[in-house]
Amino acid sequence: MIWEVFRQEAAGDYHAHCGNVHAPDREMALLFAEIQHGRRKPTNSLWVVPQDEVGEVDTDEAVFGGTTDKSYRFAQTYSVEPAAEEVEASEEEQTEAERKRGDL
Amino acid sequence: MTMDVEEVKRRAGPREFSPADDLPEEYRTAATRMLEFHANSEIMGAYLERPFIRQSPSLERKLAFSAKVQDEIGHGQLLYRAAESLGIKTREEMLSDLANGDGKFLNCFHYPMTEWEETPMIAFFVDGAAMRRQATLKQSSWEPYAHAMDKVCFEEGFHVKHGESILAELMNGSRKEQRLTQAAFEEWWPRILQFFGPTDDQSTHHDFAADVGLKTMTNDELRTAFLNSYLPKAETYGLEIPDEPRIRQNDDGTWDVVEDDLDWEEFFSIAKNEYEPGLGQINARKEAQAAVEWVREVLDDREAMAAGGHTGQAAD
Amino acid sequence: MATADGASYAGVDDLDGEEAAEAVERLLFRLADDELVVAERYTEWQVRAPTLESDISLANVAQDELGHARLWYQVLERFGHDETDLIWERDPEDFRHGTLVEQPFADGDWADAVVRGYLYDVAEDERLHALEDSTFAPIRDRVGKVLDEEAYHLEYAESWLERLAGSEDGHERLQDALDRLYPYALTLFEPGDGTTDARIVEMGVRERSLGALRESWHDRVDDYLGSLGLRVPPLEPSERADGHVSPTDLPDHVGREGDHTDHWPALFAEMTGTYEDLGRDHATRIMDDDE
Repeated sequence: MIWEVFRQEAAGDYHAHCGNVHAPDREMALLFAEIQHGRRKPTNSLWVVPQDEVGEVDTDEAVFGGTTDKSYRFAQTYSVEPAAEEVEASEEEQTEAERKRGDL
Repeated sequence: MTMDVEEVKRRAGPREFSPADDLPEEYRTAATRMLEFHANSEIMGAYLERPFIRQSPSLERKLAFSAKVQDEIGHGQLLYRAAESLGIKTREEMLSDLANGDGKFLNCFHYPMTEWEETPMIAFFVDGAAMRRQATLKQSSWEPYAHAMDKVCFEEGFHVKHGESILAELMNGSRKEQRLTQAAFEEWWPRILQFFGPTDDQSTHHDFAADVGLKTMTNDELRTAFLNSYLPKAETYGLEIPDEPRIRQNDDGTWDVVEDDLDWEEFFSIAKNEYEPGLGQINARKEAQAAVEWVREVLDDREAMAAGGHTGQAAD
Repeated sequence: MATADGASYAGVDDLDGEEAAEAVERLLFRLADDELVVAERYTEWQVRAPTLESDISLANVAQDELGHARLWYQVLERFGHDETDLIWERDPEDFRHGTLVEQPFADGDWADAVVRGYLYDVAEDERLHALEDSTFAPIRDRVGKVLDEEAYHLEYAESWLERLAGSEDGHERLQDALDRLYPYALTLFEPGDGTTDARIVEMGVRERSLGALRESWHDRVDDYLGSLGLRVPPLEPSERADGHVSPTDLPDHVGREGDHTDHWPALFAEMTGTYEDLGRDHATRIMDDDE
């Protein structure tokens, strides 16, 4: 069976999908993943997940974040100066997200 | 082998520990207490704000309020999961403790909020204070907590600016709006100052949580940072800072709050969930949650049925 | 996109005469008011839904519907209105939503949210598809993005229906909600006056009559809910020539001509309380105008 592999580079990072392995069970999947996906790039931890157990919804079926104007959800819509650096940082991240969504 | 507390203290750094680590009970209990408090606060804050979805005076304000309340419930969701992953309490247990009056949450959310002009007191000042604190928690040693803070801080900038935008509008509005807003500010100001708790020498849980890296800044540092950013904002909008409780800025830029000017008896009765209006809010939420218990039972039955036909190994 | 004579209306000024403009305006009020009020009831579930995840999801549905209301109200602004007179200072009796959406529900009656959502979403789906090729461009241009969001709503409602119908308790609650809400759902297809709907179809603003939409709606609802073991009342076959269903099948208040249940003025008073108390004379805009 196929196991999806998620690799975390350093403690505190997010596990990100990096590939998969064929293995008959979880124990062997971990052994194979350790070498196939953890031997070259910096690795702090790996997760293996049976491929059948991964659910998916993608842009063929869903309109993530909607299609009508949702700008009320974004900090940059409000025309006041950010009160503090963390507010400003959040606004920058939101502007970036809006840009990547193609809404800007 | 379970890590001992000394090793935890030695290694404690930003995002150092994850569910893969075998952490001592003391750490897991302290982290659970913090996360549960934080998660409960999100839920009770949302509870307080929900009536203003309906009462918003414009369609776009209504959309914003609905989105904000939605986000807060989302933050609760993230935080309960980060708490659950410590293995001490399940989300169901935490939510039922909150319903029963055993779950603790932020002082400000024990007070009723009934008027529109009060909304920026929560949505700008309290959220601003919370965001200050949350930004520092991105460095928490409990990785799931820090990860939750990544998403929370991403979203929170909208909340604070939404709150500020309401404040700006009120303070640029009619005399009546300005007067009502000033009155609301005076009522909420002491509560906002108490947001960060008593000064550090009176706080009990701080030392351990700081030593193991669960939090990285003291109450006093956070209060000072908050006042430095938000006092000028209040003044910009023409809010008058009440004479009491007295606050004094020191030469080094830090702030002292005259603790005797604040009602600590009320604060500590709130901390024990004994303050009447807060208790009313806890109970009202409990009833609303009890009314949909039947739906959760349907879901639980379905989950049990699905698990019955499934041979997967137990998680965690 | 065009009627038999090829008419297409780029904007309000292209509509021929007062009666044509009034017919389109009436259609828009129905669309906008339905969305506003259905959303208003959905928001009551915020912080009260069965689980945190379902709370967040239903809140999204509410915001979608509010966003759709906003979109249709903005089209109405082209008829010379503004948000103040469209919502905040309008007489509650002038609202044109069907009485389905204004109905209150008992605490914890999640079956109501699910059934109401389903009945409404299927109706939405039918009516929006019939508007996709509208001769009135401001409607035609907006239907697509509204429909894209409606797909989730329908899937969400169906998903819940299937899960609740699978338990004895849930099944019973669904049937109760259906029995109670079904007559109100018929109001969604009730024409207001005797002439507007025919004019709308004749102008090609909407491809199908309300009666035809009602029939498709009933077929779908009956098939699907029937497959879950729920009983849907039959649709009176002797449909009246004026487009109305038999008054015996309808609730006492239909809403389309402003005849609302008492729940509506109460809800409206709550909604407009802040606006009134603060003595506002305009509704705050935060977002850019929809192009």
